[in-house]
Amino acid sequence: MSLLALGEPYLSDGVDLGDVVLTVVKVVVAFVVLLVSVMLMVWFERKVISRLQNRIGPNVAGPFGLLQTLADGMKLFFKEDLIPERSDRFVFQLAPYLSVVPAFLTFILVPIAGDFSDGKDGSVSIAGRQFFLQVADVPVGILFFLAMSSIGVYGVMLAGWSSGSKYPLLGSVRASAQAISYEAALGLSLASVLLISGTLSTNEIVQVQAGEGFRGIIPNWNLITTGFVPFGIFLIAGTAELNRPPFDMVEAEQELVGGFHTEYSSIRFAMFYLAEFMNTVTMSAIIVTLFFGGPAGPNFGVLPGWLWGFVWFFLKLLVFLFTFVWFRATLPRLRYDQLMDLGWKLLIPLALGWLMILAGIRVAQSGGFGITDSTQVDTGIVLVVGLAIGVVAALLLSSAVRTSRQDRLHRHGLVEVAPVFELDGGAPAGEGHH
Amino acid sequence: MVDVIVFAVAGLIVLAGGLGVVLNSNPVRSALSLVASFFGVAVLFVLQEAHFLALVQIVVYAGAIVVLFLFVIMLLGVDEVEDLSIEPLSGQRIGGLLAGAALLVFLLGGLFLSGGDEGAVAVTGTESVTQPIDETQPNIDNLATDLFGRNVLAFEATALLLTIATVGAVVLVRNAGAEDLSVDEPGRADH
Amino acid sequence: MAQYLPVLALLVLAGLFAGLSFVASKIFAPRNPTAEKLAPYECGITPGRDLPERFPVRFYLVAMLFVIFDIEIVFLYPWAVNYQELGLFGLVSVLIFSALVFESFVYLISKGALDWGPLQVSRRQDPMRSADRTTASTVRRVGQDGRTVTVLDAGVAAEEAGSGVAA
Repeated sequence: MSLLALGEPYLSDGVDLGDVVLTVVKVVVAFVVLLVSVMLMVWFERKVISRLQNRIGPNVAGPFGLLQTLADGMKLFFKEDLIPERSDRFVFQLAPYLSVVPAFLTFILVPIAGDFSDGKDGSVSIAGRQFFLQVADVPVGILFFLAMSSIGVYGVMLAGWSSGSKYPLLGSVRASAQAISYEAALGLSLASVLLISGTLSTNEIVQVQAGEGFRGIIPNWNLITTGFVPFGIFLIAGTAELNRPPFDMVEAEQELVGGFHTEYSSIRFAMFYLAEFMNTVTMSAIIVTLFFGGPAGPNFGVLPGWLWGFVWFFLKLLVFLFTFVWFRATLPRLRYDQLMDLGWKLLIPLALGWLMILAGIRVAQSGGFGITDSTQVDTGIVLVVGLAIGVVAALLLSSAVRTSRQDRLHRHGLVEVAPVFELDGGAPAGEGHH
Repeated sequence: MVDVIVFAVAGLIVLAGGLGVVLNSNPVRSALSLVASFFGVAVLFVLQEAHFLALVQIVVYAGAIVVLFLFVIMLLGVDEVEDLSIEPLSGQRIGGLLAGAALLVFLLGGLFLSGGDEGAVAVTGTESVTQPIDETQPNIDNLATDLFGRNVLAFEATALLLTIATVGAVVLVRNAGAEDLSVDEPGRADH
Repeated sequence: MAQYLPVLALLVLAGLFAGLSFVASKIFAPRNPTAEKLAPYECGITPGRDLPERFPVRFYLVAMLFVIFDIEIVFLYPWAVNYQELGLFGLVSVLIFSALVFESFVYLISKGALDWGPLQVSRRQDPMRSADRTTASTVRRVGQDGRTVTVLDAGVAAEEAGSGVAA
């Protein structure tokens, strides 16, 4: 286990020609899989949204319109590529790379198949070489995910800045503030997963989840062992990180035309589009890996074990891909202040508090506190004290929000008045809608 | 052999990035060069088997601190090309050159005058000065035992430092003339 | 270090893919730039105003807060992975650290660093905006002195006045 913690077995010591060949095969397969999955994802999204809106959706190019994305992509090669005169040419051309390359790289973390049943580590042996069915099991996997998502911010930020045009600039400043805000929530909710798993490697996180859960029936998924809340935070923060609805402030077309990529055309635009959908697929895969056991699942025979892994992974992945599309079809876009409030004033404190209470309970269960003789009583005490501290923290936070509000009212010479209820609407009349 | 090549390439990236920061007349491009330089440093960390540190380098420095720089550059509207022939601080260039040269002398001196393997501060080329990295353990574990053991005071002091930075930021923002953090207050005329 | 070989390979492949796409677009795409096409996008009209020079300083404070939380996250990870071995001591030191960070977070919020939207104020009770004010009570009909005013439908008039206030 500890040796494996340093990464994939086949690359642990020296590299020979066979390793290089294996690496190249893996990388090329991952590359093709990613491109095809983006193609299918765009089709899937358009088709599902159409159905939810009582339309048919793309149905001409290829069977069921499957090739529509390919046709659209090819069209973009033949479109004029404009670089606006007031742009910073070098940065303008660099930005699509900064968007698309991290999108490709994040995928290496995802174990897409493998047999994890009965304590197996999900590795496969071919020609005497043992390897995982994921592109690379880098030693600090989860941090790699955070690093790539923080590099992705540059693509959006620089695209908007370098365009030399107002809508892209506004869009990109918004987008980067949003991305960094939710990245903090993302990182904090991840800490709960690390607490339970005790490792940063995605492969081992899956291995831990493949173990026997409560009473042998309920799976040992991090979703359950971390207590649902980190998953909720991760899903919301992940959606915001992807700039997908209802958090698509970046390209709020009613106010910002196209957001950060307004000035981009032709294949440069296609790169941003590609990165966006690739990130959606990868984020779904990461959610499955971190909270839903990845490829781990029961093995019903007939198929080889690693293929069952793929089946389970794919089914779980589909659920989240659909969820993201469903979000888009259902939820109206948040206002910017609501978005920032949700991220900072709710998700981040909640993630932090949850992590602390979870850790407290865990330490108490292993007898770390030693308040009484029984660890159960200890756990109870820690839980009560933890919740009390949480309540105090929440009160402190809300009093800070109130202080700031009073300050603002005071500065503008306003006094708080009890809300007036209109006869017809019944809602308090706000001032924020003009 | 591979190590040497990786070291050379990463070193070149760090150097080119550093020069780019100084020589670019556009602040945004300077910030980008800084990111490139950080990536080079991250590769150097990986070369030393310090995986955690390498990724932290990217997450914190490239992902947060340079974003902060870029925000400042964009917010204040200083993203214009600067005239490099003007020296805002007189004697700054000569001072910089002298300091750089002094640093180089110290580095080379440390390299050549150190007493081989005996001295604790000697440049020996080993991967860790105090104790070798335990190869069988991921270095995040080593880091944790060290950080929450011997160096716990430094760890807590960091939190204090961050608090000071926060207060400083607020004070600076307020002194900059905008005593009101919310400058774009709409709907004032209504009341 | 060999662990990062696939990362490097994928990096090169992704870069090549993007680069070759741009080359292909150079070959296939028409090039016919005109002054109008190259001008900044402004919904079809000639760009009038210049770019905003400055942004609200709160963006800077958000980035600042992010740095703080990023550093906290980076410290939390080694502890989260090893919390079992570090036991109560590690938990308490992390709690103190988090409390300090939380404190500066609360300070920033109380200073209004994270207030983005317009101030949400309930409308003051204004005698000029009242359901009692209807056309019958506010409009003085010129040239109708001494005549009896017949209100066609009092209910409709009141409702119209009411919705006028709400809008």
